[in-house]
Amino acid sequence: MLITLEQLTKRFGATLAVDRLDLEVRPGRVTGFLGPNGAGKSTTLRMILGLDRPTSGRALLDGRPYSAYEWPLRKVGALLEAKAAHPGRTGRDHLRAMARSNGIAPGRVDEVLEMAGLGGAARKRSGTYSLGMGQRLGIAGALLGDPPVLILDEPVNGLDPDGVRWIRGLTRDLAAEGRTVLVSSHLLSEMQVTADHLIVIGHGRLLADAPLDRILAGHASLEDAYYTLTDGSALR
Amino acid sequence: MTVLRAAIGAEWIKLWTIRTVWWSLVAALVLMAAGAGQYALYAENGDLDPGLFRDGLVPAGSIAVLALSFAQLAFVALAMLAMTGEYSTGTSRATLTWIPSRFRLLLAKSAVVAAVIFVGGTVAGVVGGVVAFPVLGDLGDAGGIVPTALKIGAYLALLGVVAVGLGAALRGPVLTLVVLLMLVVVVPPLLQVPDIAVLTAIADGLPGVAGNHFLLGDTDPYAPGLGLVIVAAWAVAAFAVGYRELNRRDA
Ligand SMILES: Nc1ncnc2c1ncn2[C@@H]1O[C@H](COP(=O)(O)OP(=O)(O)OP(=O)(O)O)[C@@H](O)[C@H]1O
Ligand SMILES: [Mg+2]
Repeated sequence: MLITLEQLTKRFGATLAVDRLDLEVRPGRVTGFLGPNGAGKSTTLRMILGLDRPTSGRALLDGRPYSAYEWPLRKVGALLEAKAAHPGRTGRDHLRAMARSNGIAPGRVDEVLEMAGLGGAARKRSGTYSLGMGQRLGIAGALLGDPPVLILDEPVNGLDPDGVRWIRGLTRDLAAEGRTVLVSSHLLSEMQVTADHLIVIGHGRLLADAPLDRILAGHASLEDAYYTLTDGSALR
Repeated sequence: MTVLRAAIGAEWIKLWTIRTVWWSLVAALVLMAAGAGQYALYAENGDLDPGLFRDGLVPAGSIAVLALSFAQLAFVALAMLAMTGEYSTGTSRATLTWIPSRFRLLLAKSAVVAAVIFVGGTVAGVVGGVVAFPVLGDLGDAGGIVPTALKIGAYLALLGVVAVGLGAALRGPVLTLVVLLMLVVVVPPLLQVPDIAVLTAIADGLPGVAGNHFLLGDTDPYAPGLGLVIVAAWAVAAFAVGYRELNRRDA
Protein backbone atom coordinates (compact mmCIF):
# COMPACT_ATOMS: atom_id res chain seq x y z
CA MET A 1 0.00 0.00 0.00
CA LEU A 2 1.03 3.52 -0.76
CA ILE A 3 0.92 6.37 1.75
CA THR A 4 0.40 9.69 0.00
CA LEU A 5 0.60 13.12 1.59
CA GLU A 6 -0.83 15.94 -0.49
CA GLN A 7 0.04 19.42 0.69
CA LEU A 8 -0.54 18.15 4.21
CA THR A 9 -0.64 21.03 6.67
CA LYS A 10 -1.40 21.33 10.38
CA ARG A 11 -1.52 24.48 12.40
CA PHE A 12 -1.91 24.57 16.19
CA GLY A 13 -2.75 28.17 16.97
CA ALA A 14 0.39 30.12 16.10
CA THR A 15 2.48 26.99 15.52
CA LEU A 16 2.73 25.66 12.01
CA ALA A 17 3.48 22.07 12.96
CA VAL A 18 3.31 20.55 9.48
CA ASP A 19 3.84 22.71 6.44
CA ARG A 20 2.58 21.54 3.02
CA LEU A 21 4.16 18.09 3.02
CA ASP A 22 3.95 16.43 -0.37
CA LEU A 23 5.35 12.94 -0.55
CA GLU A 24 4.81 9.24 -1.07
CA VAL A 25 5.85 6.37 1.17
CA ARG A 26 6.33 3.23 -0.90
CA PRO A 27 5.96 -0.43 -0.04
CA GLY A 28 8.81 -2.92 0.10
CA ARG A 29 11.26 -0.76 1.97
CA VAL A 30 11.86 0.77 5.38
CA THR A 31 11.31 4.51 5.26
CA GLY A 32 12.94 6.41 8.09
CA PHE A 33 11.21 9.58 9.24
CA LEU A 34 13.69 12.01 10.79
CA GLY A 35 13.72 15.50 12.16
CA PRO A 36 14.50 17.44 15.34
CA ASN A 37 12.15 17.52 18.34
CA GLY A 38 9.01 19.38 17.39
CA ALA A 39 9.66 19.00 13.66
CA GLY A 40 6.14 17.65 13.14
CA LYS A 41 6.78 13.92 12.75
CA SER A 42 4.22 12.70 15.28
CA THR A 43 1.66 15.22 14.07
CA THR A 44 2.11 13.96 10.51
CA LEU A 45 1.68 10.36 11.61
CA ARG A 46 -1.45 11.25 13.62
CA MET A 47 -2.94 12.92 10.56
CA ILE A 48 -2.28 9.79 8.47
CA LEU A 49 -4.23 7.85 11.11
CA GLY A 50 -7.13 10.28 11.08
CA LEU A 51 -6.49 11.38 14.68
CA ASP A 52 -5.57 14.98 13.97
CA ARG A 53 -7.61 16.81 11.40
CA PRO A 54 -5.38 18.47 8.78
CA THR A 55 -5.69 22.25 8.55
CA SER A 56 -5.42 21.69 4.81
CA GLY A 57 -4.25 18.99 2.44
CA ARG A 58 -4.79 15.25 2.76
CA ALA A 59 -3.16 12.04 3.86
CA LEU A 60 -4.25 8.94 1.92
CA LEU A 61 -3.63 5.21 2.03
CA ASP A 62 -3.95 3.76 -1.47
CA GLY A 63 -6.02 6.79 -2.35
CA ARG A 64 -8.42 6.64 0.59
CA PRO A 65 -8.31 8.29 4.00
CA TYR A 66 -7.66 6.01 6.99
CA SER A 67 -11.21 6.38 8.26
CA ALA A 68 -12.63 5.02 5.00
CA TYR A 69 -11.33 1.53 5.78
CA GLU A 70 -13.83 -0.80 7.36
CA TRP A 71 -11.21 -2.79 9.30
CA PRO A 72 -8.35 -0.28 9.58
CA LEU A 73 -6.17 -2.45 11.84
CA ARG A 74 -5.92 -4.98 9.04
CA LYS A 75 -4.56 -2.25 6.75
CA VAL A 76 -2.40 -0.17 9.05
CA GLY A 77 -0.60 -1.14 12.25
CA ALA A 78 0.48 1.87 14.26
CA LEU A 79 2.60 2.52 17.29
CA LEU A 80 1.99 5.99 18.63
CA GLU A 81 4.02 8.03 21.08
CA ALA A 82 1.59 7.84 23.94
CA LYS A 83 0.84 4.71 25.90
CA ALA A 84 -2.10 3.12 24.17
CA ALA A 85 -3.38 0.79 26.88
CA HIS A 86 -5.50 1.62 29.92
CA PRO A 87 -3.22 1.11 32.95
CA GLY A 88 -5.90 -0.91 34.74
CA ARG A 89 -6.30 -3.40 31.92
CA THR A 90 -3.94 -6.30 31.26
CA GLY A 91 -1.91 -6.23 28.08
CA ARG A 92 -3.70 -9.33 26.87
CA ASP A 93 -7.18 -7.90 27.49
CA HIS A 94 -6.11 -4.74 25.69
CA LEU A 95 -5.19 -6.80 22.62
CA ARG A 96 -8.33 -8.94 22.92
CA ALA A 97 -10.53 -5.84 22.74
CA MET A 98 -8.41 -4.51 19.90
CA ALA A 99 -8.75 -7.77 17.94
CA ARG A 100 -12.50 -7.84 18.55
CA SER A 101 -12.89 -4.29 17.26
CA ASN A 102 -11.54 -5.26 13.85
CA GLY A 103 -12.82 -8.80 13.50
CA ILE A 104 -9.35 -10.30 14.00
CA ALA A 105 -9.22 -13.93 15.20
CA PRO A 106 -8.70 -14.03 18.99
CA GLY A 107 -5.91 -16.59 18.55
CA ARG A 108 -3.80 -13.90 16.93
CA VAL A 109 -3.48 -12.14 20.32
CA ASP A 110 -1.24 -14.81 21.81
CA GLU A 111 0.75 -15.00 18.58
CA VAL A 112 1.71 -11.33 18.66
CA LEU A 113 2.34 -11.42 22.41
CA GLU A 114 4.76 -14.25 21.75
CA MET A 115 6.44 -12.29 18.94
CA ALA A 116 6.77 -9.23 21.16
CA GLY A 117 8.30 -11.32 23.94
CA LEU A 118 5.89 -10.00 26.53
CA GLY A 119 5.42 -13.48 28.04
CA GLY A 120 3.81 -13.73 31.46
CA ALA A 121 3.54 -9.97 31.80
CA ALA A 122 0.65 -10.07 29.33
CA ARG A 123 -1.65 -11.08 32.17
CA LYS A 124 -0.54 -8.21 34.40
CA ARG A 125 -2.14 -4.79 34.36
CA SER A 126 -0.33 -2.62 31.84
CA GLY A 127 0.06 0.18 34.38
CA THR A 128 2.75 -1.96 36.01
CA TYR A 129 4.77 -2.27 32.78
CA SER A 130 8.17 -0.70 32.32
CA LEU A 131 8.70 1.71 29.41
CA GLY A 132 10.09 -1.05 27.22
CA MET A 133 7.32 -3.50 28.10
CA GLY A 134 4.71 -0.88 27.24
CA GLN A 135 6.52 -0.36 23.95
CA ARG A 136 6.49 -4.09 23.24
CA LEU A 137 2.75 -4.17 23.90
CA GLY A 138 2.30 -1.28 21.47
CA ILE A 139 4.30 -3.10 18.79
CA ALA A 140 2.30 -6.29 19.41
CA GLY A 141 -0.80 -4.18 18.76
CA ALA A 142 0.65 -2.81 15.52
CA LEU A 143 1.27 -6.37 14.30
CA LEU A 144 -2.13 -7.67 15.41
CA GLY A 145 -3.98 -7.20 12.13
CA ASP A 146 -1.06 -8.48 10.00
CA PRO A 147 -1.30 -5.16 8.13
CA PRO A 148 0.38 -4.19 4.85
CA VAL A 149 1.32 -0.81 6.35
CA LEU A 150 3.24 -0.21 9.57
CA ILE A 151 3.63 3.21 11.10
CA LEU A 152 5.95 3.24 14.09
CA ASP A 153 6.65 6.42 16.05
CA GLU A 154 9.98 5.95 17.82
CA PRO A 155 9.59 2.18 18.23
CA VAL A 156 12.96 1.58 19.92
CA ASN A 157 12.30 4.22 22.57
CA GLY A 158 12.92 2.47 25.90
CA LEU A 159 13.77 -0.91 24.42
CA ASP A 160 16.73 -2.93 25.70
CA PRO A 161 19.51 -3.97 23.25
CA ASP A 162 17.64 -7.20 22.50
CA GLY A 163 14.52 -5.21 21.74
CA VAL A 164 16.39 -2.79 19.50
CA ARG A 165 17.79 -5.68 17.53
CA TRP A 166 14.34 -7.26 17.33
CA ILE A 167 12.85 -4.08 15.86
CA ARG A 168 15.70 -3.80 13.39
CA GLY A 169 15.09 -7.34 12.15
CA LEU A 170 11.33 -6.98 12.29
CA THR A 171 11.12 -3.78 10.26
CA ARG A 172 13.52 -5.17 7.65
CA ASP A 173 11.57 -8.43 7.42
CA LEU A 174 8.23 -6.63 7.14
CA ALA A 175 9.58 -4.47 4.34
CA ALA A 176 11.09 -7.49 2.61
CA GLU A 177 7.62 -9.06 2.63
CA GLY A 178 6.50 -6.10 0.55
CA ARG A 179 4.90 -4.02 3.30
CA THR A 180 5.08 -0.28 3.69
CA VAL A 181 7.10 0.53 6.79
CA LEU A 182 7.38 4.10 8.08
CA VAL A 183 9.51 4.54 11.18
CA SER A 184 10.30 7.75 13.01
CA SER A 185 13.42 7.78 15.14
CA HIS A 186 16.13 9.93 16.64
CA LEU A 187 18.65 7.10 16.74
CA LEU A 188 20.59 7.86 13.58
CA SER A 189 23.07 5.01 13.88
CA GLU A 190 20.10 2.65 14.11
CA MET A 191 18.38 4.29 11.14
CA GLN A 192 21.57 4.02 9.12
CA VAL A 193 21.46 0.23 9.39
CA THR A 194 17.65 -0.12 9.16
CA ALA A 195 16.25 2.34 6.65
CA ASP A 196 16.36 2.09 2.86
CA HIS A 197 14.85 5.48 2.31
CA LEU A 198 14.71 8.63 4.41
CA ILE A 199 12.30 11.49 4.84
CA VAL A 200 13.70 14.40 6.82
CA ILE A 201 11.59 17.31 8.01
CA GLY A 202 12.32 20.43 10.01
CA HIS A 203 9.78 22.98 11.24
CA GLY A 204 7.14 20.93 9.49
CA ARG A 205 8.77 21.36 6.09
CA LEU A 206 10.28 18.69 3.88
CA LEU A 207 14.09 18.82 3.93
CA ALA A 208 14.90 15.57 2.17
CA ASP A 209 13.12 12.60 0.61
CA ALA A 210 15.71 10.27 -0.86
CA PRO A 211 17.30 6.82 -0.66
CA LEU A 212 19.67 6.31 2.25
CA ASP A 213 22.75 5.98 0.10
CA ARG A 214 22.04 9.23 -1.68
CA ILE A 215 21.65 11.04 1.62
CA LEU A 216 24.83 9.43 2.92
CA ALA A 217 26.86 10.32 -0.16
CA GLY A 218 29.81 12.52 0.74
CA HIS A 219 29.22 12.17 4.49
CA ALA A 220 31.05 10.08 7.06
CA SER A 221 27.82 8.94 8.70
CA LEU A 222 24.09 9.53 8.75
CA GLU A 223 24.65 11.73 11.77
CA ASP A 224 26.93 13.90 9.68
CA ALA A 225 24.45 14.10 6.82
CA TYR A 226 21.60 14.82 9.22
CA TYR A 227 23.33 17.84 10.72
CA THR A 228 24.01 19.26 7.29
CA LEU A 229 20.36 18.76 6.32
CA THR A 230 18.75 20.06 9.48
CA ASP A 231 21.19 22.87 10.11
CA GLY A 232 19.11 25.66 11.59
CA SER A 233 16.00 23.55 11.98
CA ALA A 234 16.68 22.34 15.50
CA LEU A 235 14.45 23.45 18.32
CA ARG A 236 15.86 26.52 19.97
CA MET B 1 -23.68 -3.90 10.70
CA THR B 2 -20.80 -6.30 11.33
CA VAL B 3 -18.51 -3.32 11.95
CA LEU B 4 -20.92 -2.00 14.56
CA ARG B 5 -21.18 -5.41 16.19
CA ALA B 6 -17.38 -5.62 16.35
CA ALA B 7 -17.20 -2.16 17.92
CA ILE B 8 -19.80 -3.14 20.51
CA GLY B 9 -17.90 -6.35 21.23
CA ALA B 10 -14.67 -4.42 21.77
CA GLU B 11 -16.33 -1.88 24.05
CA TRP B 12 -17.93 -4.74 25.98
CA ILE B 13 -14.52 -6.33 26.60
CA LYS B 14 -13.07 -2.95 27.56
CA LEU B 15 -15.83 -2.24 30.07
CA TRP B 16 -15.47 -5.54 31.90
CA THR B 17 -11.68 -5.64 31.99
CA ILE B 18 -11.13 -2.72 34.33
CA ARG B 19 -12.17 -2.62 37.94
CA THR B 20 -14.23 0.56 37.79
CA VAL B 21 -17.28 -1.31 36.55
CA TRP B 22 -17.25 -3.70 39.51
CA TRP B 23 -16.75 -0.99 42.07
CA SER B 24 -19.52 1.14 40.61
CA LEU B 25 -22.00 -1.73 40.50
CA VAL B 26 -21.22 -2.78 44.07
CA ALA B 27 -21.44 0.83 45.22
CA ALA B 28 -24.77 1.22 43.45
CA LEU B 29 -26.25 -1.85 45.14
CA VAL B 30 -24.97 -0.84 48.57
CA LEU B 31 -26.27 2.70 48.18
CA MET B 32 -29.60 1.34 47.02
CA ALA B 33 -29.97 -1.12 49.89
CA ALA B 34 -28.94 1.43 52.50
CA GLY B 35 -31.12 4.18 51.00
CA ALA B 36 -34.14 1.91 50.68
CA GLY B 37 -33.81 0.76 54.28
CA GLN B 38 -33.57 4.34 55.47
CA TYR B 39 -36.56 5.62 53.47
CA ALA B 40 -38.62 2.60 54.54
CA LEU B 41 -37.89 3.50 58.16
CA TYR B 42 -39.04 7.07 57.52
CA ALA B 43 -42.25 5.66 56.06
CA GLU B 44 -42.72 3.41 59.02
CA ASN B 45 -42.30 6.46 61.29
CA GLY B 46 -44.91 8.34 59.29
CA ASP B 47 -42.37 10.86 57.95
CA LEU B 48 -43.05 10.21 54.28
CA ASP B 49 -44.64 12.43 51.66
CA PRO B 50 -48.34 11.41 51.67
CA GLY B 51 -48.26 11.60 47.88
CA LEU B 52 -46.40 8.30 47.84
CA PHE B 53 -49.30 6.34 49.33
CA ARG B 54 -51.47 4.31 46.97
CA ASP B 55 -54.73 3.09 48.50
CA GLY B 56 -53.30 3.60 51.97
CA LEU B 57 -50.19 1.53 51.25
CA VAL B 58 -46.62 2.45 50.25
CA PRO B 59 -45.42 0.57 47.15
CA ALA B 60 -42.01 -0.90 48.03
CA GLY B 61 -40.87 0.05 44.54
CA SER B 62 -41.49 3.73 45.29
CA ILE B 63 -39.06 3.46 48.19
CA ALA B 64 -36.48 2.14 45.73
CA VAL B 65 -37.15 5.19 43.55
CA LEU B 66 -36.47 7.50 46.50
CA ALA B 67 -33.26 5.62 47.32
CA LEU B 68 -32.22 6.04 43.70
CA SER B 69 -31.26 9.64 44.41
CA PHE B 70 -28.07 8.19 45.93
CA ALA B 71 -27.62 5.02 43.93
CA GLN B 72 -27.96 6.71 40.54
CA LEU B 73 -24.71 8.57 41.18
CA ALA B 74 -22.77 5.31 41.09
CA PHE B 75 -24.35 4.44 37.73
CA VAL B 76 -23.66 7.92 36.40
CA ALA B 77 -20.03 7.58 37.50
CA LEU B 78 -19.73 4.23 35.74
CA ALA B 79 -21.13 5.66 32.51
CA MET B 80 -19.10 8.82 32.43
CA LEU B 81 -15.85 7.03 33.35
CA ALA B 82 -16.33 4.67 30.41
CA MET B 83 -15.91 7.71 28.17
CA THR B 84 -13.71 10.16 30.07
CA GLY B 85 -11.34 7.32 31.05
CA GLU B 86 -10.26 7.29 27.41
CA TYR B 87 -8.94 10.81 27.82
CA SER B 88 -7.60 10.63 31.38
CA THR B 89 -5.56 7.52 30.55
CA GLY B 90 -4.56 8.61 27.05
CA THR B 91 -6.17 5.66 25.28
CA SER B 92 -8.51 7.79 23.17
CA ARG B 93 -6.09 7.91 20.24
CA ALA B 94 -5.61 4.16 20.23
CA THR B 95 -9.35 3.61 20.44
CA LEU B 96 -9.95 5.87 17.45
CA THR B 97 -7.38 4.01 15.37
CA TRP B 98 -9.37 0.83 16.06
CA ILE B 99 -12.70 2.49 15.33
CA PRO B 100 -12.13 5.63 13.25
CA SER B 101 -15.84 6.41 12.88
CA ARG B 102 -16.64 8.68 15.79
CA PHE B 103 -20.31 7.91 15.35
CA ARG B 104 -19.80 4.18 15.51
CA LEU B 105 -17.52 4.49 18.52
CA LEU B 106 -19.95 6.65 20.46
CA LEU B 107 -22.85 4.43 19.49
CA ALA B 108 -21.00 1.29 20.59
CA LYS B 109 -19.98 2.84 23.90
CA SER B 110 -23.47 4.16 24.56
CA ALA B 111 -25.04 0.80 23.72
CA VAL B 112 -22.72 -1.15 26.01
CA VAL B 113 -23.09 1.30 28.88
CA ALA B 114 -26.86 1.45 28.47
CA ALA B 115 -27.21 -2.34 28.38
CA VAL B 116 -25.05 -2.91 31.45
CA ILE B 117 -26.76 -0.12 33.37
CA PHE B 118 -30.21 -1.30 32.35
CA VAL B 119 -29.53 -4.71 33.88
CA GLY B 120 -27.64 -3.30 36.88
CA GLY B 121 -30.33 -0.69 37.47
CA THR B 122 -33.12 -3.23 37.29
CA VAL B 123 -31.32 -5.45 39.79
CA ALA B 124 -30.76 -2.44 42.04
CA GLY B 125 -34.46 -1.57 41.78
CA VAL B 126 -35.44 -5.08 42.87
CA VAL B 127 -32.92 -4.95 45.71
CA GLY B 128 -34.35 -1.63 46.88
CA GLY B 129 -37.91 -2.95 46.86
CA VAL B 130 -36.96 -6.19 48.57
CA VAL B 131 -35.07 -4.34 51.31
CA ALA B 132 -37.88 -1.81 51.80
CA PHE B 133 -40.82 -4.20 51.90
CA PRO B 134 -40.15 -5.96 55.25
CA VAL B 135 -39.16 -2.66 56.89
CA LEU B 136 -42.43 -1.08 55.77
CA GLY B 137 -44.36 -3.73 57.68
CA ASP B 138 -48.13 -3.31 57.44
CA LEU B 139 -47.71 -0.25 55.22
CA GLY B 140 -45.86 -2.09 52.50
CA ASP B 141 -47.12 -3.22 49.10
CA ALA B 142 -44.77 -5.54 47.22
CA GLY B 143 -46.90 -5.64 44.08
CA GLY B 144 -45.08 -3.19 41.85
CA ILE B 145 -41.49 -4.02 42.70
CA VAL B 146 -40.51 -5.64 39.40
CA PRO B 147 -42.26 -3.24 37.00
CA THR B 148 -40.81 -0.31 38.94
CA ALA B 149 -37.37 -1.92 38.86
CA LEU B 150 -37.58 -2.26 35.07
CA LYS B 151 -38.52 1.40 34.83
CA ILE B 152 -35.54 2.27 37.02
CA GLY B 153 -33.32 0.29 34.67
CA ALA B 154 -34.70 2.14 31.65
CA TYR B 155 -34.30 5.56 33.26
CA LEU B 156 -30.74 4.84 34.38
CA ALA B 157 -29.77 3.46 30.97
CA LEU B 158 -30.85 6.73 29.34
CA LEU B 159 -29.09 8.74 32.03
CA GLY B 160 -25.99 6.66 31.28
CA VAL B 161 -26.17 7.73 27.63
CA VAL B 162 -26.40 11.35 28.80
CA ALA B 163 -23.22 10.77 30.83
CA VAL B 164 -21.36 9.13 27.93
CA GLY B 165 -22.31 11.92 25.54
CA LEU B 166 -21.31 14.64 27.99
CA GLY B 167 -18.07 12.81 28.68
CA ALA B 168 -17.28 12.80 24.97
CA ALA B 169 -18.01 16.52 24.76
CA LEU B 170 -16.16 17.60 27.90
CA ARG B 171 -13.43 14.91 28.11
CA GLY B 172 -12.30 15.64 31.67
CA PRO B 173 -13.77 13.29 34.31
CA VAL B 174 -13.98 15.95 37.00
CA LEU B 175 -15.65 18.53 34.79
CA THR B 176 -18.06 15.94 33.40
CA LEU B 177 -19.03 14.69 36.84
CA VAL B 178 -19.55 18.23 38.10
CA VAL B 179 -21.82 19.06 35.18
CA LEU B 180 -23.79 15.84 35.65
CA LEU B 181 -24.19 16.43 39.38
CA MET B 182 -25.37 19.96 38.73
CA LEU B 183 -27.88 18.73 36.21
CA VAL B 184 -29.26 15.84 38.24
CA VAL B 185 -28.69 16.69 41.91
CA VAL B 186 -27.81 20.31 42.60
CA VAL B 187 -29.86 22.48 40.27
CA PRO B 188 -33.33 20.87 40.57
CA PRO B 189 -33.88 21.70 44.27
CA LEU B 190 -32.45 25.19 43.73
CA LEU B 191 -35.10 25.74 41.08
CA GLN B 192 -37.92 24.03 42.97
CA VAL B 193 -37.52 25.46 46.47
CA PRO B 194 -38.46 29.08 45.66
CA ASP B 195 -41.77 27.71 44.29
CA ILE B 196 -41.83 30.11 41.35
CA ALA B 197 -43.78 28.69 38.41
CA VAL B 198 -41.17 29.41 35.73
CA LEU B 199 -38.32 27.94 37.75
CA THR B 200 -40.32 24.87 38.67
CA ALA B 201 -41.24 24.37 35.03
CA ILE B 202 -37.55 24.52 34.07
CA ALA B 203 -36.75 21.98 36.78
CA ASP B 204 -39.46 19.69 35.39
CA GLY B 205 -37.52 19.60 32.15
CA LEU B 206 -34.27 18.42 33.75
CA PRO B 207 -33.45 14.72 33.40
CA GLY B 208 -33.43 13.81 37.11
CA VAL B 209 -36.77 15.45 37.81
CA ALA B 210 -38.34 14.07 34.63
CA GLY B 211 -37.05 10.62 35.56
CA ASN B 212 -38.62 10.92 38.98
CA HIS B 213 -41.99 11.83 37.47
CA PHE B 214 -41.76 8.78 35.29
CA LEU B 215 -40.70 6.42 38.05
CA LEU B 216 -43.24 7.54 40.65
CA GLY B 217 -46.06 7.62 38.10
CA ASP B 218 -46.84 11.28 38.86
CA THR B 219 -49.45 12.75 36.55
CA ASP B 220 -48.67 16.34 37.45
CA PRO B 221 -47.43 18.41 35.61
CA TYR B 222 -47.21 15.86 32.78
CA ALA B 223 -47.94 12.20 32.17
CA PRO B 224 -45.34 9.76 33.52
CA GLY B 225 -44.49 8.53 30.02
CA LEU B 226 -43.56 12.06 29.00
CA GLY B 227 -41.01 12.03 31.82
CA LEU B 228 -39.22 9.16 30.11
CA VAL B 229 -39.45 10.93 26.74
CA ILE B 230 -37.77 13.97 28.30
CA VAL B 231 -34.92 11.85 29.65
CA ALA B 232 -34.59 10.22 26.23
CA ALA B 233 -34.44 13.66 24.63
CA TRP B 234 -31.56 14.54 26.96
CA ALA B 235 -29.81 11.33 25.94
CA VAL B 236 -30.19 12.12 22.24
CA ALA B 237 -29.03 15.70 22.75
CA ALA B 238 -25.98 14.65 24.80
CA PHE B 239 -25.12 12.03 22.18
CA ALA B 240 -25.34 14.64 19.42
CA VAL B 241 -23.15 17.12 21.28
CA GLY B 242 -20.63 14.39 22.16
CA TYR B 243 -20.50 13.26 18.54
CA ARG B 244 -20.04 16.79 17.26
CA GLU B 245 -17.13 17.40 19.62
CA LEU B 246 -15.48 14.05 18.82
CA ASN B 247 -15.65 14.91 15.15
CA ARG B 248 -14.58 18.51 15.45
CA ARG B 249 -11.61 18.19 17.77
CA ASP B 250 -8.31 16.37 17.32
CA ALA B 251 -8.19 13.08 19.19
N1 LIG C 1 -2.01 18.96 20.39
C1 LIG C 1 -1.16 19.96 20.15
N2 LIG C 1 -1.48 21.23 20.48
C2 LIG C 1 -0.63 22.24 20.23
N3 LIG C 1 0.57 22.10 19.67
C3 LIG C 1 0.96 20.86 19.32
C4 LIG C 1 0.12 19.73 19.54
N4 LIG C 1 0.78 18.63 19.10
C5 LIG C 1 1.95 19.06 18.61
N5 LIG C 1 2.07 20.40 18.74
C6 LIG C 1 3.21 21.21 18.27
O1 LIG C 1 3.48 20.85 16.95
C7 LIG C 1 4.87 20.82 16.71
C8 LIG C 1 5.23 19.45 16.17
O2 LIG C 1 5.12 18.49 17.20
P1 LIG C 1 5.34 16.94 16.97
O3 LIG C 1 5.00 16.26 18.22
O4 LIG C 1 4.63 16.53 15.73
O5 LIG C 1 6.91 16.87 16.72
P2 LIG C 1 7.85 15.59 16.57
O6 LIG C 1 8.59 15.77 15.32
O7 LIG C 1 7.08 14.35 16.75
O8 LIG C 1 8.84 15.80 17.81
P3 LIG C 1 9.58 14.74 18.73
O9 LIG C 1 10.78 14.32 17.98
O10 LIG C 1 9.96 15.51 19.94
O11 LIG C 1 8.65 13.62 19.01
C9 LIG C 1 5.52 21.19 18.01
O12 LIG C 1 5.80 22.57 17.97
C10 LIG C 1 4.47 20.92 19.04
O13 LIG C 1 4.61 21.78 20.14
MG1 LIG D 1 7.13 12.82 18.14
